[in-house]
Amino acid sequence: MSRSLPLTLLALVLLSGCATSPPDVAGTGTQLATRQIQTREYDTLDKSMTMRSVIATLQDLGFTIDQADAELGTITATRLHDYTMRMTVTVVEKDNERISVRANARIGENSVTDPNTYQDFFVVLDKAMFLTQHGVD
Amino acid sequence: MRRIVLSAPLLAFLGACATTIPEDALRLPESTLEIRSIQTRTLEAPSEIDILAATIAVLQDMEFNVDRIEKPLGVITASKVTDADSTAEKTGLLFLDLLCVASGSNNCDASTTAKDDQRITLTMVVLPSLERSGEFTARVTLQRVIFDKMDRIKVLERVSEPEIYQQIFDNLRKSLYIQVSEK
Repeated sequence: MSRSLPLTLLALVLLSGCATSPPDVAGTGTQLATRQIQTREYDTLDKSMTMRSVIATLQDLGFTIDQADAELGTITATRLHDYTMRMTVTVVEKDNERISVRANARIGENSVTDPNTYQDFFVVLDKAMFLTQHGVD
Repeated sequence: MRRIVLSAPLLAFLGACATTIPEDALRLPESTLEIRSIQTRTLEAPSEIDILAATIAVLQDMEFNVDRIEKPLGVITASKVTDADSTAEKTGLLFLDLLCVASGSNNCDASTTAKDDQRITLTMVVLPSLERSGEFTARVTLQRVIFDKMDRIKVLERVSEPEIYQQIFDNLRKSLYIQVSEK
């Protein structure tokens, strides 16, 4: 009995390891922390130019644009490269004095939660914002 | 020791369930400038709308369906599903199946992994020049998914052949000329 118990437990863990879970609707992580990781603010009021910079950034990163809505400030894009990565980026005016950009990414069926990955995205966007605003190609 | 032997496969199993997000998922690849130049051209036109209209005509010429247009941002998204069949590949896989059957196996389905359809998606983005009015930067990006005979995804990739982009821009310049001269 004492010998078979660990084996039984092991078998149970193995069987439940990849079991079907309920639909992940709410996502993972705390709301505030996730928002902080995914958001940057820019000292500009040019929403259209910011959106064009986001689109240029996504194209540089190998995405095609699925849809873009200038009024709502939303862009959704997909990259097919060994795996499927989808991003939704929203651009909104804040307090009539700056622009907030929020990006979220999913790879396959998993959401990207690593702050460094979002940091990488904003590094590329920072450059694109500079280039777009100064008319440099 | 025995505990280690038991826990090693357990860890390996749990590891297999975990997600691996590539560290460089959103870093610019070294080839960025090269790819950007393949996908980008400078065009002259009376307005951004002329370029968008000429692009739609070219997309129709190339038998794409226009999925979405966002005029204020100069974005057009289009796609098409085409045949990705390759006779050479099918012959090779059929040969593999014949060898497999000859060896006495009952499970010979290499032919079902042959490429069947491909879905190509295209984005065109037009950006007005800040320096010169009447000058625009147009960038096209293309990706495709190839499915096998059983509708399983076989290939996910960016289309990177320069001649394909060159052909699109050649067609676009002609279409733009017609678009502007017919106004």
